Parts: sequence; C-alpha cells; structure tokens
Amino acid sequence: MRQAGTYSGILSGGISGKTGPHLLPLARIKKIMKKSGEDVKMISGESPIVFSKACELFIKELTQRSWMVTMQGKRRTLNKEDVASAVMATDLFDFLVNLVSESGNSGEAPPPLELDTFTSS
Amino acid sequence: MGIIQHGDSSNSINNVNNIFNVTDNVSNAGNISNTSNTNAVSTMPPPGPVLREQDQYMPIANVIRIMRRILPPHAKISDEAKETVQECVSEFISFITGEANERCQSEQRKTVTAEDILYAMGKLGFDDYIEPLTVYLTRYRQSENERTSLRGDTFLKRGNAYGPMMIPPHGVAPFNEGFQEGMTDATSAAARAIMGGYNHGAHPGGAAGSSSQQAPFDDDLDPFVEFK
Repeated sequence: MRQAGTYSGILSGGISGKTGPHLLPLARIKKIMKKSGEDVKMISGESPIVFSKACELFIKELTQRSWMVTMQGKRRTLNKEDVASAVMATDLFDFLVNLVSESGNSGEAPPPLELDTFTSS
Repeated sequence: MGIIQHGDSSNSINNVNNIFNVTDNVSNAGNISNTSNTNAVSTMPPPGPVLREQDQYMPIANVIRIMRRILPPHAKISDEAKETVQECVSEFISFITGEANERCQSEQRKTVTAEDILYAMGKLGFDDYIEPLTVYLTRYRQSENERTSLRGDTFLKRGNAYGPMMIPPHGVAPFNEGFQEGMTDATSAAARAIMGGYNHGAHPGGAAGSSSQQAPFDDDLDPFVEFK
C-alpha cells in the first residue's frame, strides 16, 4: 500500500490516487449543496470533491482559531463558546455569526481577540 | 435542580435543610440526572418530513477526525463544540454554493463547476484556500486521466458515481502501452471533457464499440491528435 508522504498526504490524503475514499462523504456534500438553494440544479462531478477538501481546510482553520481561545482560557477542553469567540473574532467567519449565537450562546463571550493576524498553515 | 422535590422550595429553611442533606443529594444525583436526560430526550422534536438532521450535516465522526488532526493529543472537545463545528461546515457549503450558483446563473449556465466554487471562495474571502484546492483538483484530474487513458479496457469495470462520464471507445486500447505519467494537454482536455460538467454534445453513441481511430470528441479536443 502506498505510503503518503507528509506533504503529499495532506494534498492527496483521502483520494488514494483515484476517486477512492475522501475524508468527507461526497453524496452528503452534494445533498447539502442542493439544499443551499431552490435553483441549484446541476452539480459537476468534481464539485463535491473540491468541497471535501475545502471543508477539511475550513474545519482545520475553525478548530485552530477556536483552540487558541481555549488556550487563552488555560483550558484543555474546546467548548462551544470557544468556537463562538473564534467566529466573532474572525472577519472571514462573519457568515457564521448568526449560527453560533443562535446555538444558545449566552453572549457572555470573553473579550474579542485579534485573531485575524493568525496565519493558517 | 431536582432538590426542589423536597417540597416547599420557597421556604428558605427547607432550602437550608436541603443544602445540608448532602448524602441525599448525592444519592439522588444519579436519579436526577437520569430524569433530566429522559426529559431531554422526550422533548426532542420528532424528525419531520424535512431533511433529517443527519442529512443536513457532515457525519460528526468525520468532522471530529479532522479536528483531531489539528489539535494536540491531550485536547478534549466538548460535544456541543463538535456539533457547532458540524453545523458550521454545512453553513460553509451553503454559503459558497450560493455564491457559485449565482455566478452560474449570471452566465446562463446550469451546472455548478469546480471553477465556480473556486471563484466563489475567492470572492467570499477564502483566498488562502484557492491554491491548495487547485493543486488538489489538478492531482485529482491527473489521477482520473491516468485511470481513463491507461486502462481503456479495465475502465469499463470501474464506476464513477459522480457526474456524467464518457466511456471511450475500445479503440483507446492501443494507446495504453508505454504511456508515461506526463499527460499531454490534449489528453487533459479530453479528460476534462470526460469528467463532469461539460455537457457539450458529448457523444453517447460514440462509445458503441466504434473501431475507428478517430477521436470521439469534438475536433478541438481531439485527444489522439498526436498519435495519428
């Protein structure tokens, strides 16, 4: 079985060189895409594949930023409020503001951090 | 708190008594928490005719797996945090797809393509994602390329569940031998035509065992032009 190198593993991790298993299920991605609008008609075969990687990048970035909040609080458990704080502190995640606040966040978040200077790897 | 079961909760004396009934509280704690769990379950809304919750989100196990790749080994993640990230992913997909679809419509196209998605990412601020995604997509296309060009005969045994796939005629077999990894542009173009999204008069009938050596594609995408 091929061993993916550290870097190539990140790039191709999950494709296994073919349309093999991805980290995220393509059918589910397609379903969510279709649900995003009444007028989303056809989706190219490659779209879910691009999204599977994009979602991976997104999850990593969101998690990294959230974990920074956790560390600031000298905690080891990443909780929902940390995610909410990361969202509030990052312009890129503006589209998530309503989502994290309606999840029942009491609004007593820690003071906003300057996370936008953080460069994601 | 379930301590109120002792009756008159407004009576401060009772409350004081409750506080000192440490043993009772502790022994009841298990019951109380069980009760509240039961209540929580019974008040959950039943799944309706809309998409079930699990259909609108990425599977949580997959989400967690990706999160753990980033976090240090000792890190813990609360259940609520996992769910929140799960919801954020779906929101991300919808957000990008909406923008990509808008672009499609403005150009009178019906199919959302990978390029539309990359465009949307750039427009919505996810510039940093574009390069790694482009590299990923290129590698994917190359691997698909190898699959279809090198294995003309075995290709038919493989399925691709996503997007329309052109099945090349059996005539592609002679071009298999000794084909190197570096694909020519013509072949890449053909591969792109094979893969989803480019519904330009693809030849469904062309796959019917035509023995001709002519390319089954449009002239400008003749994949075998170099081998004639």
